[in-house]
Amino acid sequence: MSRPRRDPRAERASRQVASAAGEAARPRYDRTARRGAGRPRRDPRAEHERRRLAGGSRPRYDLGQVAPPEGVPSTEARPRPAAETASKILVLEAPAFLVAAVPDAAGGRLSAHDRQVLGAARALAGREGGVAVLTLGPCEGCGGAGADRLIQIEGQAEVYDPAGRAARIAAALAALAPRHVLFPESLDGGDLARRVAVRMGAPLFGNAEVVAAGGLIRPARGRRVEQRAAPGLLATVAPDAVADYAGPPREARPLAVEADGMAGRDTRPAPILAATRVPADPATVPLALAEFVTAAGNGLHDLDTFRQLVAALRATPGASRVLCDAGLMPRHAQVGASGTVLAATCYFALGISGAPQHLQGVAGCEHVVAVNTDLHAAMIERAGLAIVQDAQAVMPALLRLLAQEAGGRGGVS
Amino acid sequence: MRIAVLLSAGRHPVSGTPVLPRLEAQAVRLAAGLGEAVGLHAGPDAAAVADALGQGLGRIEHLHLAEGADPVPALAARLGTLAPDLVLAGRRGQGGPESGMVPYALAEALNLPLIPDVVAGSAGEGTLRLDQSLGRGALRRLVVRGPVVVTVHPDAPAPLAYAYGRARRGTVEAVTPAPAAASVPEIAVEERPYRRRPKLVKGAPAGGSAAERLKAATGESGAVASGRVLVEPDPEDAAREILAYLRQIGVLAPPAAPGDR
Ligand SMILES: Cc1cc2nc3c(=O)[nH]c(=O)nc-3n(C[C@H](O)[C@H](O)[C@H](O)COP(=O)(O)OP(=O)(O)OC[C@H]3O[C@@H](n4cnc5c(N)ncnc54)[C@H](O)[C@@H]3O)c2cc1C
Repeated sequence: MSRPRRDPRAERASRQVASAAGEAARPRYDRTARRGAGRPRRDPRAEHERRRLAGGSRPRYDLGQVAPPEGVPSTEARPRPAAETASKILVLEAPAFLVAAVPDAAGGRLSAHDRQVLGAARALAGREGGVAVLTLGPCEGCGGAGADRLIQIEGQAEVYDPAGRAARIAAALAALAPRHVLFPESLDGGDLARRVAVRMGAPLFGNAEVVAAGGLIRPARGRRVEQRAAPGLLATVAPDAVADYAGPPREARPLAVEADGMAGRDTRPAPILAATRVPADPATVPLALAEFVTAAGNGLHDLDTFRQLVAALRATPGASRVLCDAGLMPRHAQVGASGTVLAATCYFALGISGAPQHLQGVAGCEHVVAVNTDLHAAMIERAGLAIVQDAQAVMPALLRLLAQEAGGRGGVS
Repeated sequence: MRIAVLLSAGRHPVSGTPVLPRLEAQAVRLAAGLGEAVGLHAGPDAAAVADALGQGLGRIEHLHLAEGADPVPALAARLGTLAPDLVLAGRRGQGGPESGMVPYALAEALNLPLIPDVVAGSAGEGTLRLDQSLGRGALRRLVVRGPVVVTVHPDAPAPLAYAYGRARRGTVEAVTPAPAAASVPEIAVEERPYRRRPKLVKGAPAGGSAAERLKAATGESGAVASGRVLVEPDPEDAAREILAYLRQIGVLAPPAAPGDR
């Protein structure tokens, strides 16, 4: 905690300039050299000059909040051609060490949490290290998320066999010998990490909220204290705590690892006799947990059709405050700042203007679809797919189309 | 069916007073619906876990350990002699290191399978049917052959109400633990008061202006801002576009072939 005590005499002596033998009488010191510790002295003039935009006879300055990094002249930093940097893939030929990340990768796709874990792994790997992603089954988009190597362990991802999965991951990790291994602290990832930890007999640093080469930090004892430790072999990363990887895409080169996964197999009969997935019932799942929300606003007056549509899409119903205040929809269906903040993947808004209080509830949704008659509504601006059309006409059309697909009958509205 | 419920000395998340963690009270409720259960606590003091008597347990065994000692070897030895058909535990402790490792270390020591995050259970003939939470209200229904170690998820039914009479009738028995060495090596940690850290705002520029951060918070910038706008399309076309978009992002099931729905 305490910083070392300064010794001004020694500091001065270290800056003394060796002089010619003749003039030994007068000591000379080099005062231009920067002191070793402490933050560097600011040079406001140079900072201002760095903000100058290239070109033009009149000097122009970029006074935005983000200061350009020191030493980068503005001339080449500003008009950076986006396409050139985007298409360049970073290749790490011989990483000094590996940091492994084991994403959940449900359905062969990286979740937002998985991408944060890769970002954390990238932070631990630094410049010399490489990030290796270990997955069971295929996984797409690893390179863009910051992976240098991709290790695919064969095995059926669909069969629920957590112990076997942990055994294969542990065997692959033993063969790969990475410096650190990171898991997401999700339901599946946290389970896998703990199984791997007891299998390998290594301690696990769970639920890290800060991941840096200098140390990992996790909350403990009901968030009264935080515990800090140097990065060990195994750790799990808390959700929404670490930023995604933001640099150029990396190569995610497939790597084969010879792991004798069979060696650690136990010979007991499989304890899990059957496993079936029961999807959530969209009609009863709480709005905050729903995966897909379809919401009605003041632009709708035919709520019966809306309810049919919600059932046909297998979505969870939501509403704006206007409808809830009017008693047309239950209060627990209200989306927004004074209602429910959604964590849905997709939000489908029908006749909602998109007031700021409403949009706050939708901020976490990855995809938004909006139907509104007003081209300039905020909801249209927010949407990934915006339809400027009467929602009363679109709803029956959707129902007809869904009915046609379901039974080939058509004409139901 | 014989059931053992692992009880830990928890602390209330707000006040810090010793309490029985909610997850373990939920585990007691699950156990009460399945068969005869005994509580098991290893630690210096059993006063806090005695609450579990009022919430549906008839008997608690207290293995006396020194403060800070690893409970796993003592619990494993005791469970080895009790040989229950089902061991229930919370998915994480509350008020301690909250690492969630104890059930896994126990399952390894006892050589039993472990089923995590269970919200409901019922007994069959020699088997157990367990509902496992997958988050967002989805479940996985498992049929397992016991004995198993099971951890309980917060979505399980709420604990039974505390009953004073039941708490009076219940007993806490002291059991001398078998001496054993620590199993899993500990990590050396440095502790300091917790500091809240800002939650990540998705797509927020590092060090951006307040207006930019607000835009990121309401989602008006970023990938979604570059959306597609269809102005006054035919309603049928619009419907087709919407369904295609919903299927592309995977929230709507693809059109079912006739017969499989
Ligand atoms: C303190 C405070 C808290 C609030 N909290 C919330 C909150 O949590 N949640 C919330 O939702 N609101 C909240 N509000 C209210 C919010 O400010 C808006 O008033 C409300 O969201 C507007 O709802 P709306 O979009 O359904 O209605 P309107 O603003 O009336 O918008 C209706 C939209 O439908 C369109 N439309 C009309 N006819 C059609 C048609 N036939 N087809 C398609 N589109 C059509 C219109 O173009 C318009 O854009 C809050 C307000 C305050 C003051």
